[in-house]
Amino acid sequence: MTITVLHSGTQTLIMDAGRPGHRHQGIPGGGAADKLSFAIANHLVGNAWDAPALECALGGLHIRFNEPYTIAISGAQMWSQNQGLNLALNKAVQVEAGDILTMSFTRAGCRSYLAIAGGIKAKPFMGSVSTYLPAKLGGLNGDPLKTGDVLDIGKPQGDVRSLPKGHIPLLSNHIVLRAAQGPEYNALSDGSKRYLFTTPFYATTATDRMGSRLKGDAVTLDTELKMTSSPLLPGSLQIPPDGQPILALADGHCTGGYARSLQVIQADLWLLGQIAPGAAVSFRRSLPEEAEIILRGKNSYYADLIPGFSF
Amino acid sequence: MSSTSPSPRISIYGDHAVIVDWETDGFSESVNDTVHSLAAKLRESGNYIEVVPGYDSLVCVFDLAARSVDSTKRHIEDLLARSAQTSNQTGQLVEIPVHYGGKDGPDMEMICKSAKLSADGVIALHSKVKYRVCMMGFIPGFTFLSPAPEKLHHPRLATPRAKVPAGSIGIANWQTGIYGLESPGGWQIIGRTPLSIFDVKRKTPFLLNAGDRVRFIPQ
Repeated sequence: MTITVLHSGTQTLIMDAGRPGHRHQGIPGGGAADKLSFAIANHLVGNAWDAPALECALGGLHIRFNEPYTIAISGAQMWSQNQGLNLALNKAVQVEAGDILTMSFTRAGCRSYLAIAGGIKAKPFMGSVSTYLPAKLGGLNGDPLKTGDVLDIGKPQGDVRSLPKGHIPLLSNHIVLRAAQGPEYNALSDGSKRYLFTTPFYATTATDRMGSRLKGDAVTLDTELKMTSSPLLPGSLQIPPDGQPILALADGHCTGGYARSLQVIQADLWLLGQIAPGAAVSFRRSLPEEAEIILRGKNSYYADLIPGFSF
Repeated sequence: MSSTSPSPRISIYGDHAVIVDWETDGFSESVNDTVHSLAAKLRESGNYIEVVPGYDSLVCVFDLAARSVDSTKRHIEDLLARSAQTSNQTGQLVEIPVHYGGKDGPDMEMICKSAKLSADGVIALHSKVKYRVCMMGFIPGFTFLSPAPEKLHHPRLATPRAKVPAGSIGIANWQTGIYGLESPGGWQIIGRTPLSIFDVKRKTPFLLNAGDRVRFIPQ
């Protein structure tokens, strides 16, 4: 039971829900950068929500199926075809032995998830098969997929499922993230505090799974901070001396030395995985009390549909 | 925990984390002791997704759907209040062989110049200290140690190197540390250890953990 990689695209990685709990050892939780879309793809093909799947950034992945499979693609709106026929996204579909799937460019978002009934088999490291490139962990020997790779597929576990339309996230190329104050928020100048919440930034080409360097008017601090290296979380917006913010993403460094101005709320962390280079990124102010209500609402919206999944 | 540590600020970090930080002037060993013993207790409780100690701060990440900011803050306050005395001798002592200078320590000359010492003098000074592993990060295996002797303090390189070999031992201002993996880096490199700090293939991938003590043995 295998599939063959004919072309790996911009970057395709084996992902599951990651390996949380090791940041104190310098290992980020990582895992699917957009946990929601990853869970949806798995759910549709009858897998557990956290079964290993492929995370394809910006397109270009070509796969040959060596046996018949049930597959589903969720996440970025990526133009996908099987044997030259357009493939519906967010829907379980049947493919035959010898079929070739091509995932081309993305119209909106950054990462698509290809789930295959039975899940992808790989050797876990610290409880997860998620690929973490800086230390070459997980995946196939810690590498991104490359042409000629053959991936083992597990035995299908559950029945094919569908999702009501409203549960499929609508992505755009303007990512709006709700954010609360980071530890050094109060060091920002008044103008910058306002500006952070009112004007969109743009994700530069220095955007990957570790972080996204944003571009916009310079964000300034009122007081110069002498920071020693301190813990940093995914979704933290750091402000280096040049005033161009850096947003830490799923594989972000575990410590940093710049002011942590904002922190994306837990309910919106999944969206970090859909920031493509060139996308507009805005921050909307969220109060912690409100963030808790948003999270409960979103969790309960999916709780009955996708067993075990939460934001 | 050490009674000499002043009381920290406990504040919310975003919506799903709490940060505990201490006002320190440079490095404080007693604060770092408190950070690690608090981190160990928080981790033991099993209530948190991540407990990340720093030099003088600690971040505790939780699931906002399962825990509130207030209960997390209260838990931390309780632990800080209850543990007046804890041994600061946590962790193991690890001896690390080091080849100082030469190809393994391209910045040795720079440090000698600024410290006004011979290479042997720098080596003697750097290897005299029993360092504490203050934190791990920013990449797996990078070991942030307690301060080097003051004479050796030196700013980072103006332009970071694209590649620093794994095992390199460097200095950045008052910090000294070990690169666990090959990575880009701006620390002044004075030596290198053949031991691998982080090895995926080893049964215990990490040679060092935060709280351990390290002594460098010149080879």
